[in-house]
Amino acid sequence: MIHLSLPAALAALLAGLGVYGVLARRNAVLVLIGVELILNAANLLLVTAGSRPGAPLSAGPVITLFVITIAAAEITVALAIILVMFRRTGHIDLTAVPDLSDEPEPAGEGAP
Amino acid sequence: MTTRDIVFVAVGAVTALSALLSVTTKHVVHAALWLLVSLGSLAGAYLVLGQELVGLVQLLVYVGAIVVLVLFALMLTRAPIGPHAEIDTPRWQRVAGAVLGGATTALLASLLLPLFAGATADLDRPSTTTPQIAQAIFGTWVWPFELLSVLLLVALVGAFAVSRIVLQRDGADRHDADHPDHPDHHDSHDDGDRTAATTAVTSEPGTGRVG
Amino acid sequence: MSWIVRMIVVLPALAALIGLLARRRRAVAAGVAVSVSAYVAVLGLIQWVAPSRSADIDTIGGLPLGDLSVPLHLLSDRVSGLVSFVVALVVLGIQVFTVWYLRDDARYGQFAATVSLFATGMLLLVQSGDLVLMLVGWEIMGWCSWLLIGHDSERAAARRAAYKAFLVTRVADIGMVVGIVALSVRARSTDLMAVLTATGDGTLLTVGLVGVVIGVAGKSGLVPFHDWLPDAMEGPTPASALIHAATMVAAGTYVIARLFTLYAENDTARTLLAVLAAVTMVYAALLALAQTDLKRMLAYSTLSQIAIMLSALAAAPAELGPGAGISHLLGHAFFKALLFLGAGWLSVLAGGTAIVALRGRLRPTGALRWSMGIGLAALAGVPPLVGFFTKDTVIDAALEGATGGGGLRAWLVVVALFVTVVLTAAYCTRAWLLLDTPVAATGELPDTAPAVVAEEDVAVVTTADSADDAEVERVHAHGHATITLSAALVVSVLAALTVVGTLFLASLRGGVHVGLLSALLSLLLLAGGAYAVWFLSDRGRVDVAERIPGRVREPAVRGFGVDTAYVAVGRAVTTVARLVVALDRDVVDAYPRGTAVVARAAGRAGERGHRGVPSLSLLSLLVGVVLVAVLGVTAWR
Repeated sequence: MIHLSLPAALAALLAGLGVYGVLARRNAVLVLIGVELILNAANLLLVTAGSRPGAPLSAGPVITLFVITIAAAEITVALAIILVMFRRTGHIDLTAVPDLSDEPEPAGEGAP
Repeated sequence: MTTRDIVFVAVGAVTALSALLSVTTKHVVHAALWLLVSLGSLAGAYLVLGQELVGLVQLLVYVGAIVVLVLFALMLTRAPIGPHAEIDTPRWQRVAGAVLGGATTALLASLLLPLFAGATADLDRPSTTTPQIAQAIFGTWVWPFELLSVLLLVALVGAFAVSRIVLQRDGADRHDADHPDHPDHHDSHDDGDRTAATTAVTSEPGTGRVG
Repeated sequence: MSWIVRMIVVLPALAALIGLLARRRRAVAAGVAVSVSAYVAVLGLIQWVAPSRSADIDTIGGLPLGDLSVPLHLLSDRVSGLVSFVVALVVLGIQVFTVWYLRDDARYGQFAATVSLFATGMLLLVQSGDLVLMLVGWEIMGWCSWLLIGHDSERAAARRAAYKAFLVTRVADIGMVVGIVALSVRARSTDLMAVLTATGDGTLLTVGLVGVVIGVAGKSGLVPFHDWLPDAMEGPTPASALIHAATMVAAGTYVIARLFTLYAENDTARTLLAVLAAVTMVYAALLALAQTDLKRMLAYSTLSQIAIMLSALAAAPAELGPGAGISHLLGHAFFKALLFLGAGWLSVLAGGTAIVALRGRLRPTGALRWSMGIGLAALAGVPPLVGFFTKDTVIDAALEGATGGGGLRAWLVVVALFVTVVLTAAYCTRAWLLLDTPVAATGELPDTAPAVVAEEDVAVVTTADSADDAEVERVHAHGHATITLSAALVVSVLAALTVVGTLFLASLRGGVHVGLLSALLSLLLLAGGAYAVWFLSDRGRVDVAERIPGRVREPAVRGFGVDTAYVAVGRAVTTVARLVVALDRDVVDAYPRGTAVVARAAGRAGERGHRGVPSLSLLSLLVGVVLVAVLGVTAWR
């Protein structure tokens, strides 16, 4: 026996913390950590819902597995983009004003 | 309050606390490590909920792969060791983030708690066992499963292509090898950047650096 | 017969084409130009001597224009034969003379080809039996006049004169086109015969005839449009001779003569023509008296003489026909070509066309002296030269019109004609005395020529002395070349034609018709005018124009600022056009363009607001997400 409102509350808490993490960090990798937290909140919610008696098709755990896979794919591409950004601009600071022109910007500016 | 409830509260507290630390700590690397703790304890929570398979996959994929990837990314981007005030956004933005995070939590809680109020799961006779999950995946969910494998392949190729295409455009844009912004010059002191530099060398034969 | 008529039109065009292709080879260009002109002159002679009246010589076939019949026929009769013969003859003379006159000009080939094309235009107009073909010939001449006047295109004055001629005649051509359209609509055909015999709407007829008169006024230099002609002296002298003698300015006379039966019935158009002609002939003769430049004096005399031709058409009674006008056209062609070519010869000898430079230069020149004398005498109307007969034919026709019920219009013309006779005699005598009296006899050298300085930008061309710049340059560069035999022969032949040209006109119906009383009267007036000048100028020792007060004379030399008026009209039109453009752009277009401007401004504002900072973007995104979620949850509840 377990009361499912507990994992539901934990999921809500993790999502809120993730949102805060996304907005409170300027390092792109740390922003990704926030995103992971939000994803895990969703996973937890799925598992919780799937644990209700009478949940059909084993949907809860199966979709959780799928989301984990998608998260792996997402983090791969996101990290690739972050690395490219670092190579081009020398930093991964998301609060820096990006150079939208075509000319390469001078080195060292805004590097962490 | 059953025993499982108490165990879940304990594991959930660890999860929430480490998640909070991972989004607030001033140490860049600590953030990743606290994420590790958080995700690991979340795997514990899955176990408490009776989903051994999901918990194990969580451990394998998240803790074993994704967090390691994050740590590698931090190293490759020359993350500073030790506390660093510069990793956070300005205060007003953090306040806005806290408000928004709180709002998200409140919203979700106000939705979910009524939904799950009083709902209980009898984990001694679990509704979904691992063989059932296996049958569901390769039965009901087989097409989404195959689609996911394609997605993984696309993500792999995409990640490679992103770095590669941008590098090639770099080479096309910047003919002068000694441009101050050239990646090779940036990374020349950094051990962790070997892989990136090697990629750059292979794609830009004219600008290769003698390592 | 019909192929001769076609050849007369086509051959000069071919000559122009070949001449243009061979413009670098001077001998080829000259050979083609002269030989084709000669051949065309022979063809014209045949057409005149052996005329067979035919009104439906096909050219390129009729144009399929639905209701409107456009057959594009040529029309051959005795008049067109005679006129095209004389035109071809004058063109031939000018081509031969040009070979000598432009002997050092690098662009002789272009010039000769343009003269050939010009001849094409005039001959097409003469031979055409169709209003459309007439207009085509008319416009070819307009374009070629621009080329010829602007031949010395490195000089700003020549360029400006060319544009002025082109624009002024072009403005008047609006009337010509409107007139031709009205006449064609009335007859449902552009064929000349159909237009002449059509019966129908009187208003359309009046509009058509008045329109043609306006067009003619532009090309022939009647009063509001007259000022381009003296400026056209910026062209080389052979071009002036061509434009003035038999072609462009006389073309209007021919067009109106072709439409004479319509004019005879329409008082409105004829009165307009009579008033314009009467004013022009007196006014231009007065200005000719004051000129300080020989070529400009001849230009003003042309204006006056053209007005005389047109006055014959305006005043002659219907039964007399257009013979008097055509006859004066032909006579004028001979002596005006003679005078211009003689003036060109003289300018080469003297190094300029300003009368100051030419004073007394005529006396030692032998054949040239005789030729110029004959030309000036014919211009004045001394018997038995051709000018006397043609002018008195005009006077006689006008008198007949006046006594035969022509009314005020004909009397106005008659009075103007007699006044013009006096003035013409006066300025011819003045020119002769100035050119022929040896400088030694005049005592001190004349420093009395009015120094007309171009102080305004608009009046650059109208200064009297600018016309001879090209000649001066030419003479300074190449010295006083002796004239070639052929060129001298041309002048002599033209002089001979001026003496015996009356015989040509005898074949023309109403061509020579001199009344005894009017002839006697005009002879008396002529003698009086000549004597007055001779007396006032102290037997040629003084320029009689010196006796005109300077404040009258200087504006007169400049044509009384008509040029300024033209410029003012042009500026006014431009201002109105700018206003319309501004209205269109800033008022009408403002609304459609306003949307674009607003969209662009909004885009700019958005661009400025969004600096592309990822962190802020994330913040905005999440704010939006949370807001939407709050909304959704509230709505769901």
